[in-house]
Amino acid sequence: MISHYLIVSAALFAIGAYGVLARRNLLIILMSVEVMLNGVNVALLAFARLYGQSAGQLFVLFVMGVAAAEVSVGLAILIAVFRNRKTVDTGDLKSLQG
Amino acid sequence: MGSIDPVFALAAAVTVGAGLLVVIQRNPIYSAISMLACFLGLAVIYLRLEAPFLAAIHVLVYTGAILVLFLFVIMLLNLKPEELGVEYPLKVRGLIAAMCLGLFGLIALPLWQDKRELPPKSSLPAGFGSVETVGHALFVDYALPFELISVLIMVAVFGGVLLAKKKL
Repeated sequence: MISHYLIVSAALFAIGAYGVLARRNLLIILMSVEVMLNGVNVALLAFARLYGQSAGQLFVLFVMGVAAAEVSVGLAILIAVFRNRKTVDTGDLKSLQG
Repeated sequence: MGSIDPVFALAAAVTVGAGLLVVIQRNPIYSAISMLACFLGLAVIYLRLEAPFLAAIHVLVYTGAILVLFLFVIMLLNLKPEELGVEYPLKVRGLIAAMCLGLFGLIALPLWQDKRELPPKSSLPAGFGSVETVGHALFVDYALPFELISVLIMVAVFGGVLLAKKKL
């Protein structure tokens, strides 16, 4: 059944959303974004399988490319932040708050 | 609900359980190891969805590149337990958990009504999910997005070097 796959996809997306919103460690926030992206990939593949279209599988490839780019820039920002501020806690990063 | 494919059920349980561990673990190194289990479970789900090429690429890119990058950064930062920062109070986290549970319910509840079965494997086009089919679609029908992704990755390479370098 297609709905089983979509429920797993929704569960992964909700778990990732919780991680992004409720955690303050930058590393774990980035990992949660990866979990969310993977949840979306499962839905895309399920629909590709349902309709027999390989385009859905291509979108997953593109999502993987974007995820790889996102994580490399995100981790570079994290390293720059840690070097300057000696913290990975988003609660301590409020110099833009005025 | 119809019968559940046992392989899928096991993979889904591992994936969702490991996904939960990723977000509730305090130490990022345990989160990264949980993410490994989550990604391997996902690869099995991809195989169940007739996407063997995507499953292989998923293992290569996610566990081979992204996870290793995470582990590399965790070791580079070498955070001590007191450097992990404070978490939000339990009340705030509970509220956000309730919100995310609501989000899950909002997506999943209408799906209980969805009784569509996946079409049998024989009804799929020949070679569905194989390297040939995906590669043909990628280089013939979707050549422009493919080139744009390569530009994006190029930008990410430059951005990563620029941001992480001490002095240019």
